[in-house]
Amino acid sequence: MSTRNVIDISELPHHGFDTYDPVWWGNNGLLAIETSMFAILIATYFYLRQNFALWPPPIAQLTAPLRPLPDLGFGTANTILLLLSCIPMAITDRAARRGDRDTCRIGLGICVVCGLIALVLRGFEFPAVYFRWDSNAYGSVVWFLLGMHMMHLLILTGETVLLFVWLLTREFDMKHRVDIVTIGVYWYWVVTMWLIIYAIVYFTPRLDLRT
Amino acid sequence: MSHGLTRKSELAQISDEELAAQMDRERAELERTWAPPTGLRGWLTDTDHKRIALRYVVTAFVFFVFGGLEAALMRIQLARPDNHFLDPDKYNQIFTVHGTTMMFLFAVPIVTALGIYLVPLMVGSRDVAFPRLNLYGYWVYLIGGILLYTGFLLNTGPDAGWFAYVPLAGPAYSPGKRVDIWAQMITFTELSGLAGAVVIIGTVFKMRAPGLTLNRLPLFVWAQLITSFMIIFAMPSVMLASGLLASDRLIDTHFFNPAEGGDAILYQHLFWFFGHPEVYIIFIPALGFISSIVTAFARTKIFGYTAMVLSLISTGFIGFGLWVHHMFATPIPQMGQSFFTAASMIITIPTGIQIFCWIATLWTGKLNIKTPLLFVFGFFANFIIGGLTGVMLASVPLDLQIHDTFFVVAHLHYVLIGGSVFPLFGAFYYWIPKWTGRMLSETLGRWTFALMFIGFNLVFFPQHILGLHGMPRRVYTYLPESGWGTLNLISSIGAFILASGVLVFIINFLWSRRAGEVAGPDPWAADTLEWSVSSPPPSYNFHNLPVVQGRHALWEATPDAPVVRGLSTTKRETLVTSVLDAEPELRFEIPGPSIWPFLVALGTAEAFIVGIFTPWAIMAGALLTGAALICWFFGDPNYENRPAIESPSKVASPPELRPKEV
Repeated sequence: MSTRNVIDISELPHHGFDTYDPVWWGNNGLLAIETSMFAILIATYFYLRQNFALWPPPIAQLTAPLRPLPDLGFGTANTILLLLSCIPMAITDRAARRGDRDTCRIGLGICVVCGLIALVLRGFEFPAVYFRWDSNAYGSVVWFLLGMHMMHLLILTGETVLLFVWLLTREFDMKHRVDIVTIGVYWYWVVTMWLIIYAIVYFTPRLDLRT
Repeated sequence: MSHGLTRKSELAQISDEELAAQMDRERAELERTWAPPTGLRGWLTDTDHKRIALRYVVTAFVFFVFGGLEAALMRIQLARPDNHFLDPDKYNQIFTVHGTTMMFLFAVPIVTALGIYLVPLMVGSRDVAFPRLNLYGYWVYLIGGILLYTGFLLNTGPDAGWFAYVPLAGPAYSPGKRVDIWAQMITFTELSGLAGAVVIIGTVFKMRAPGLTLNRLPLFVWAQLITSFMIIFAMPSVMLASGLLASDRLIDTHFFNPAEGGDAILYQHLFWFFGHPEVYIIFIPALGFISSIVTAFARTKIFGYTAMVLSLISTGFIGFGLWVHHMFATPIPQMGQSFFTAASMIITIPTGIQIFCWIATLWTGKLNIKTPLLFVFGFFANFIIGGLTGVMLASVPLDLQIHDTFFVVAHLHYVLIGGSVFPLFGAFYYWIPKWTGRMLSETLGRWTFALMFIGFNLVFFPQHILGLHGMPRRVYTYLPESGWGTLNLISSIGAFILASGVLVFIINFLWSRRAGEVAGPDPWAADTLEWSVSSPPPSYNFHNLPVVQGRHALWEATPDAPVVRGLSTTKRETLVTSVLDAEPELRFEIPGPSIWPFLVALGTAEAFIVGIFTPWAIMAGALLTGAALICWFFGDPNYENRPAIESPSKVASPPELRPKEV
């Protein structure tokens, strides 16, 4: 007869929320990459501003405004929408944790609608910049900031649609409950990034940063 | 202090024969469960981290040979003055493709690949945390490399230097598709690097065996972890640089066009904010190789573990504060220059600490002088020379004088070859027995080392002097009156000696595959967990996951060391543990072989490669990638409906499962 010391893990669960699940870490790793990307892009925005006496540069037409600051309307509407969308996402997040399928379905459905409206509003934000991406460096960097964020909005909405379809057609299993909680992190991240970009794109040109 | 007994199990009640029979049954089941798909399907879908890592190693080594051949062509061209072996245009393409290959297709992938192979084994896991992401990383890397060489062979190789400075690389001065290929290749390799970084961080944080607290993590794994974090913060910068460059070239943005408010110096900042950390991304894993080799061949515990870990971490941080020293020849404010000079000098301190710790370890140990250790000695000699010229270059007046001369070429090769390639060859001699199950020849190993060491110094030492005499980089020839002919000839002869060393290594490898001595699980009597399994390791890595009792897992294991029981043998399960203390949390089912990572990589490739010709390809690529991702999402049957832990306070790990402090 031989004996061997063991740690028996056969009773451990298969999934856990937040820091328990490797998926949460993978998601956060990817968000860390994208956060550095936005940080460097924002640095680029202010670096390029040094080359301009006026930011945005004036448009050389008598009929146009001398200093074409980006219009606030659609951007602000989008900000309010994205902030409000955190409420259904938070409710869905909690419902996924307690295993409430019906609330998750409704919540994700509302989130999908919010994401789609936000994408449409973003489409109207580009003309509100007054310059095209190929007009000058100001136009290039503002379009790039809005565009990179739009790409995340698109991926986020796409992923939410996939989870929503899963909930409607397939089992409400533990793996996908964890996915819902994880996509919540992505959702809050996209909204947070937007608040920063919104402040930079729409309000820093209104401040005089020259010293 | 050691972790002792936890609890006796069902195994205590059965006889030895029954136990052995049960173990055999389990191993057979594990073999079936983890069996890789075969044939073409296996090529496209296999997610085994060891196979993916070896593919990375082989692919990167092939690119290393290509890069070496390009170097040989340049050395033939420069062997005598006024030579016309290569014309200026070919020479431009060759030095650009050489640098690009060595940095992006060889150095980073190969050091990451060693991590992908060894980290799961060293932390006691059955696979990496995200095997399919890992597979995706390999495919985009391979596609990026093929893209570069397809362009090069079609006489469309990039020709603006490996960092592709604007305005030279901009649309005005580099028409055609050459630089576009460079920019898109960067995107591919960086995607791959970022995927690898997330895979390694996930594995190190969540897949460690019980008892392997962060405080006991092998230095190799620490090095890989810190490198992965550096990749996450540095590589987005070069992706942005190459992305903005591509968009300036393809859709007429003006990021780097001064006429419309853009800025050429901005490109240099974006590039070097990545480019300097890149040096450490290549170098820090090599420090991990050295720590493994020094420990095993000094046959003693590493001296100053805590100091070593803190040095690695501080190198990781300070590495981000050095990038401007590549730009001293641009109009940088003097305050900025002083700051970056100071940082460039400070970074020598953590590296110095590590070198002294290794010397102390070697001093107190019983040396077993084999080829891997010889390469570590070679590292000491060559890297210290490179470090000293680095301190010289940190000084602004000197840097301005020798900027863009061969002195810089000599310095960077001493740092990169001395600091990373020598440890890498040491690592090959050390770990190839684990990968193939066969020992390499020690005699040929010593020849490899001698030829590489002598050849390397012959190539690059004279270049210091040439640089001080004013010989510029990236110029395809020089005049006889310059008096640079002799030193260049010596350098060129050295190149062939260095190349013959690499050739001896290749011969040694091929010979060992057939005739090498069978290695057995632990030929070096080393300390880390990869040596506890057979060589090559089984597809599932560990039958029973180990429980780690000290920093040197195998040396500090007691005869009654517990093992982990209770993982499924019929599903690809591994243990997930907590981040700091490695306490068991979940039985996690790892995704298995899948075609979707390959198809997503193809979608990505369509977007970026056809995107060189029309922006609409990016839309098409997004649709293709999206479609593949949808199938990936709905096509995965590997899940099981089990209750989860609701919150950290309700961890479902019964107290008796936790190893007790004794």
